[in-house]
Amino acid sequence: MSGARRAARFAGKLLAFLRRDFLEALTYRFTFVSSLFGIFLSSATFYFVSRLVPPGAPSLEPFGGDFFAFAVVGVAFSSLLGIFQEGLPSVIRGAQVTGTLEALLVTRTSVPTVLLGSSLYSLLFQVLRTGLHIGLAVAVFGLELGRVNVPGLLSVLFLTALCFLSIGVLSASFILVYKSGNPFGWIFGGVSGLLGGVVFPVSLLPDWIRWVSALLPVTHALNGTRKSLLASAALADILPSIAALAMFDAVLLPLSLIAFRLALRKAKKDGTLTHY
Amino acid sequence: MSGAPAVLAESLVKRYPVLGGVRDIVRRPFRKRTTTALDGLSLQVGRGRAFCLLGPNGAGKTTLIKVLTTLVLPDGGRALVNGHDVVRRPGLVKDTVGYAINDERSFYWRLTGRQNLEFFGALVGLRGPGRDAKISEVLRLTGLEAAAGLRFNAYSTGMRQMLAFARALLTDADLLFVDEPTRSLDPLAADKVRTFLRRELVDRRGKTVFWATHDLAEAASMAHEIAVIDRGRVRLQGSPSALAGGAAGTLREVYESALAAGRGADEERKAPVPEQGGGP
Repeated sequence: MSGARRAARFAGKLLAFLRRDFLEALTYRFTFVSSLFGIFLSSATFYFVSRLVPPGAPSLEPFGGDFFAFAVVGVAFSSLLGIFQEGLPSVIRGAQVTGTLEALLVTRTSVPTVLLGSSLYSLLFQVLRTGLHIGLAVAVFGLELGRVNVPGLLSVLFLTALCFLSIGVLSASFILVYKSGNPFGWIFGGVSGLLGGVVFPVSLLPDWIRWVSALLPVTHALNGTRKSLLASAALADILPSIAALAMFDAVLLPLSLIAFRLALRKAKKDGTLTHY
Repeated sequence: MSGAPAVLAESLVKRYPVLGGVRDIVRRPFRKRTTTALDGLSLQVGRGRAFCLLGPNGAGKTTLIKVLTTLVLPDGGRALVNGHDVVRRPGLVKDTVGYAINDERSFYWRLTGRQNLEFFGALVGLRGPGRDAKISEVLRLTGLEAAAGLRFNAYSTGMRQMLAFARALLTDADLLFVDEPTRSLDPLAADKVRTFLRRELVDRRGKTVFWATHDLAEAASMAHEIAVIDRGRVRLQGSPSALAGGAAGTLREVYESALAAGRGADEERKAPVPEQGGGP
């Protein structure tokens, strides 16, 4: 099969997954409305909490100085990163539990295609949700964005997506073999919520634990995103975040692909690929 | 590959890992425990045949189907499906077989029958007008045209089984695997399924149906050929009429004696060889 035909077939399969999930989502009519309501509540909560924090707090200075902007960007983007990280393992787990995985794998569709296709809708939906979150904060609560550094923001987001997809692939590999109890979820998810600077700057953490923040990709992802979105930062100011994310990618991407290949082989060998 | 048998299995072995008890894990943490599902199984199925695989629960029927449909890798031996090796060329195997998974959870319940087929059609490479024509054809063939627009969760058990056949036929497969297709169906729906598989697919369309079942009467009336497997080995293979018409009596008697003889042979194989006495 030629490369172009193979690419067209791959794109056709991804579109089929997207259409399937869109049609299913249409049958749950209140999901979108309740999602919007959740965004509004979250933004409103941080808006009123921010009134307790005087503008220009030193720990917020590198990110534009406003707590509301800091928190909204942190919450909106960490939700997006959460989907990148948790989307793939939850797709595998969901397909194992609902029983659809066997029917998918008996077609000539590779497991990576099943993974990517099945998580595409939730990824796109979360991108839309993140945009709405920021848009709502601007339109209703007066969030002020700085002079957005578009190349810097896109670089950070691209490297962040690769990094969190790699963590997602590692998690999916674990789920393929062990079915449940994914440790990457709490290492990169639970710990990141506390130490990654999602709703408060990591500079407020005690010295003895602050070094852990530097080992979490979310810290650099949110630093880079906030600086390019809120603080009118030049590319040179964002470079440390970009370099850190690139290093995470250089380690996690090949590691996750190797882990996935080994896990898939083991699951097929053990005959437990579709078990849960 | 047109001259190759539909299925050729040679000395297939499949062992599954099993979890030991807490005591085992503590005492021998690194010992690998396995249970044998296929124990050197060999089998051949010709093209255009209705082939029934009989055997008690746990005999290895489903494992064999999963190996032949590339869902599980064997530990030993080899299997060719339509002439393609299931380990080396799984893609080619998938292109030429259909597996009618009878687990109703393998469908998307909130989508209609047609939407389910459109999705799975895309996964097997169908696109555009060709895909729509194929879906209409398999819906017509399975008698589901009128119900195509209903959500899957509104289907009866029999309709769900027929939709599983429709999905398996999307690839234009000439070999169809079905695993206990009449399980949990009422007698009329079961008859409809049997007639569809034998008369429509095998007799009219010349397809091969590889049919795992517990039902001896179903096998006797529908199959050109049966094989009895137990503990991962083929105990008996032949046409039902030849087997039941022989000295052994009815198919049930043949089945029972094949299992008993096989298990007796297994015990003999396991028995320790008596020590040779020293010669004078």
